[in-house]
Amino acid sequence: MQQSYDVVVIGGGVVGSAIARELSRWRLRIAVLEKESDVCTQTSGRNTGMLHAGFLYKTGSLKAICAVEGNQEFDAVAQELDVPFKRTGKLIVGFTDEHRQRLEHFMARGEANGVKGLELIDRKRMDELEPSAGGNFAMWCPASGILDPFAYTIALAENAVRNGVEYFLNCAFLGEERQPDGTHLLRTEKGDFRTRWVVNSAGLHSAEVSARLGIPGYVIKPVKGEYFVLDKLAGQFARIPVYPAPNPDNTFDTHATPTVDGNVLIGPDSQLARDDQDYESTQAAMDGLIESGSRMFQHMEKSYFIRNFAGIRPKRVDPATGTVQDFVLETRDEAPGVVNLVGIESPGLTSALPLARRAVALIRAKEELVPNPGFDPRRKGIRRFIDMSDGEREAAIAANPDYGEIFCRCEQVTKAEILQAIHNPLGVHTVNGVKVRTRATMGRCQGGYCETRITEALQQELGLDCRDIELGPAGSWMFTGSVKGGGEA
Amino acid sequence: MTRTFTCIVCPNGCEITAEYDGARVGAITGATCPKGEDYVRQELTDPRRTIATSVPVDGGGLPLVSVRLNRPIPKKDIFRVMEAVNAVRLQAPVSIGQVVLADVCGLGADVIVTKNVPRA
Amino acid sequence: MNLEYHQAVIIGGGPAGLAAAIRLREKGVEDVVVLEREGQTGGILRQCIHDGFGLTRFGESLSGPEYAQRFVDEAQRLGIPCLTDTTVLRLDADRTVTASGPAGLRHIRGDAVLLTMGCRERTRGALAIPGSRPAGIWTAGVAQEYINLRNRMVGREVVILGSGDIGMIMARRLTLEGAHVKGVYEVQPYPSGLPRNIEQCLNDYSIPLHLSHTVTDIHGRARLEGVTISRVDERFRPIPGTEERVDCDTLILSVGLIPAGDIANGSGLAVDGRTRGAFVDEHYQTSIPGVFAAGNVLHVHDLVDFVSLEAEALADAAAEYLRNGALPPCPLAVRAGDNVGHVLPQHISGTRDFTLSLRVSRPLKKATLTVRQNGREVLRRVLAKALPAEMLQLSVKAERLDTSGDLEVSVS
Repeated sequence: MQQSYDVVVIGGGVVGSAIARELSRWRLRIAVLEKESDVCTQTSGRNTGMLHAGFLYKTGSLKAICAVEGNQEFDAVAQELDVPFKRTGKLIVGFTDEHRQRLEHFMARGEANGVKGLELIDRKRMDELEPSAGGNFAMWCPASGILDPFAYTIALAENAVRNGVEYFLNCAFLGEERQPDGTHLLRTEKGDFRTRWVVNSAGLHSAEVSARLGIPGYVIKPVKGEYFVLDKLAGQFARIPVYPAPNPDNTFDTHATPTVDGNVLIGPDSQLARDDQDYESTQAAMDGLIESGSRMFQHMEKSYFIRNFAGIRPKRVDPATGTVQDFVLETRDEAPGVVNLVGIESPGLTSALPLARRAVALIRAKEELVPNPGFDPRRKGIRRFIDMSDGEREAAIAANPDYGEIFCRCEQVTKAEILQAIHNPLGVHTVNGVKVRTRATMGRCQGGYCETRITEALQQELGLDCRDIELGPAGSWMFTGSVKGGGEA
Repeated sequence: MTRTFTCIVCPNGCEITAEYDGARVGAITGATCPKGEDYVRQELTDPRRTIATSVPVDGGGLPLVSVRLNRPIPKKDIFRVMEAVNAVRLQAPVSIGQVVLADVCGLGADVIVTKNVPRA
Repeated sequence: MNLEYHQAVIIGGGPAGLAAAIRLREKGVEDVVVLEREGQTGGILRQCIHDGFGLTRFGESLSGPEYAQRFVDEAQRLGIPCLTDTTVLRLDADRTVTASGPAGLRHIRGDAVLLTMGCRERTRGALAIPGSRPAGIWTAGVAQEYINLRNRMVGREVVILGSGDIGMIMARRLTLEGAHVKGVYEVQPYPSGLPRNIEQCLNDYSIPLHLSHTVTDIHGRARLEGVTISRVDERFRPIPGTEERVDCDTLILSVGLIPAGDIANGSGLAVDGRTRGAFVDEHYQTSIPGVFAAGNVLHVHDLVDFVSLEAEALADAAAEYLRNGALPPCPLAVRAGDNVGHVLPQHISGTRDFTLSLRVSRPLKKATLTVRQNGREVLRRVLAKALPAEMLQLSVKAERLDTSGDLEVSVS
């Protein structure tokens, strides 16, 4: 199998999907290669879900410029793509004089970067904003916000698909061969792809892919962070994200962040990942999070624990000094037809669209692009029963009785939503695919009630044998076959 | 020789001790009801159990219907009985008490349906 | 908004809800409605196909579906309306229940509202077990539903964490259906399920039970590949150097049940941190007048027989409440003392007989249970043994009580 494209994007995370979506404004044949079974299963989906304001990064850096730009436009983006988003603001809290000095430093830097509304506030004002926050004083950053990183990545990808982009899932990039005509032949798990342009947005693997595409020398340090997810009952105490004063190396320790859905995230810590799949929770890190999380959030109680997860930030470091470097976004003469993005970590979620526009601009600098007349920037997500008023629910059920049937009792997800998720535009057919599109199984019973219903629906809707149902990644089978009456694997 | 048993007749789970010389059952202590003594006597000479499983049912609203034995069978025959039950397939409707396999494996117990599955 | 009224609205059509509905009818309460989220009533018993139910209630050993059917049949004979496929979304403090079904939303206000929703299972996340998150990890009840109701086999090589009754019962089920159960691991130094289940579910099938052990790591990215087991010290901390890897493709968790009263979260209903169910008085009335709770939504029982009996006692009180518009006040508190995990009811009148339910917090042999009021012994009972796995129930006579002074229940 060999297919020809104008642009192939390697990596379907939030940045790759944003680039695909921005490219689809132009008349191009575009493919996205994603090695996992869904978009947003790696770095893009494993983070705090924070829309950063941009006060942390060195003035003039790509991180600072893209974060500020991405932050300021996000109300419109969220509306256009139907992504849950709240501009909550954020408290960066301090306990000591040294903390105060650092907060003053970042306030000055933020103002230089163009972040609006920063102010230093005392405990009294903190109590008005968020009484559960720890700390004696704080920097208040009203521009910060929270979003659902799954929903955002999926929205970008679905909008890209709507505008003609093709996604290939479970399709790892294996290698590139430059053809005599200057085009690229990409070897993948699902056959060969011929393309004029390649975009490297491979996240954790961006240095490796960069080298394969002819730009060696980058070094990625995978930094793992673990989290606790707390019950929505804890969410009543957390309206605003609370961060500690940044460390001298511009990193944050454990913070407490509400999610758009009302849970609370405690984390991340910071440790060197063993490898690119090191998403295991560890006892040492959990113990550390319980201790450090309690300083940021006064309700870090065991009865609120519902889930743990971990993410890995692909930090680009100077090979000589080990210091963390800015995002790379480049084209190089020695690697024609390659748009290279390396080391896109935090604030990558906030910066995805600004980076994507700049990536498209690099292509337009080399060739003229023709607008795609059918491009539609809007995308609607699955309408959530839990967000509807009783009147809207009545109407939804009258139009579609499946909206009256609750599949997930904790998150009140209906059969109608589950079925829409099963028939998603990307063709993701896993239990986790349904989870990240609907929130089913994300509540306090963790699928105890709804998982059996979801697997049954996947089987029926897609005509699958139960042995073919997978939880998430390729090979994550759930059933060996029937208990009785044949069908044994 | 004395042996100690946890009675399984009821949820009390009495701990019962019995004297046993390999042929004759002696003194039994610890049972809070006569059923416990009977259980231990049986357990020493011929341990028996009931089992519950399911069989596929066609034409009903459920893929499976639950079944159980209506009286205990020798413990050593459990997997032989499972094999016999695994060969059964039913057609809805079925109802509680219906005999699926009479005198299963010649052991004197019937496999009976424990759930109503009407025709879908 | 179209508001329906009923004398009694019962949330949950399992063994508690059906027993309460039937008893209410018998007590002359005509206008009773049962709301059930599944397509049929019977609750969790529909998947509990093993026998051993009904010994107390019916004097014979039945399977779960048979036990449930007796109540389903009786409710049907009495013509009690059971609204199936109806999921309650919330309960408000004015006793209005909002429910959803394919026919639309319903807003139903009851003069009395009975909470009989049962319980849910504690999860891996609640325990914060370290490791990866592959497929092949289920709570025992979910595995039971797959195997007994949905005809799907969940794995071949199985490890079970927790010696709760459902876990042990699933150890036997999985074995009978051809899986290899490699062992049951329990963090406590004693089993959390009933002794007879250790005997007939584990010992009968040579499945080892390892006390004072727990899972300290989970391996595998796509499907479970193995777990690390460690021995724990007396404070449940893993002992370094005792780690042992056990290869398996399935991990079943039987690590506790939690009352599933979530729909009342927005109603202001007061919840006991020990039982994680509602605070109730001797009439099973919660902190909201006219709202009652019984069965596993109130406190987790080990036997369904006692769930039904408790729901019937609730129905007796609710019938009186509906008849008189109120119940005698219950100003006296009942407290858990030494070696008592929790105690119910938490409030009593001091003027009536009541049923005391409790669990001990550790296993005791030749124990003495004492109920004291104002320093005086109200009741004393000598127990051959007392296990946390076994709920104790005893009746306390009003003639032994003062009308003032809190009660303390202790075991030593």
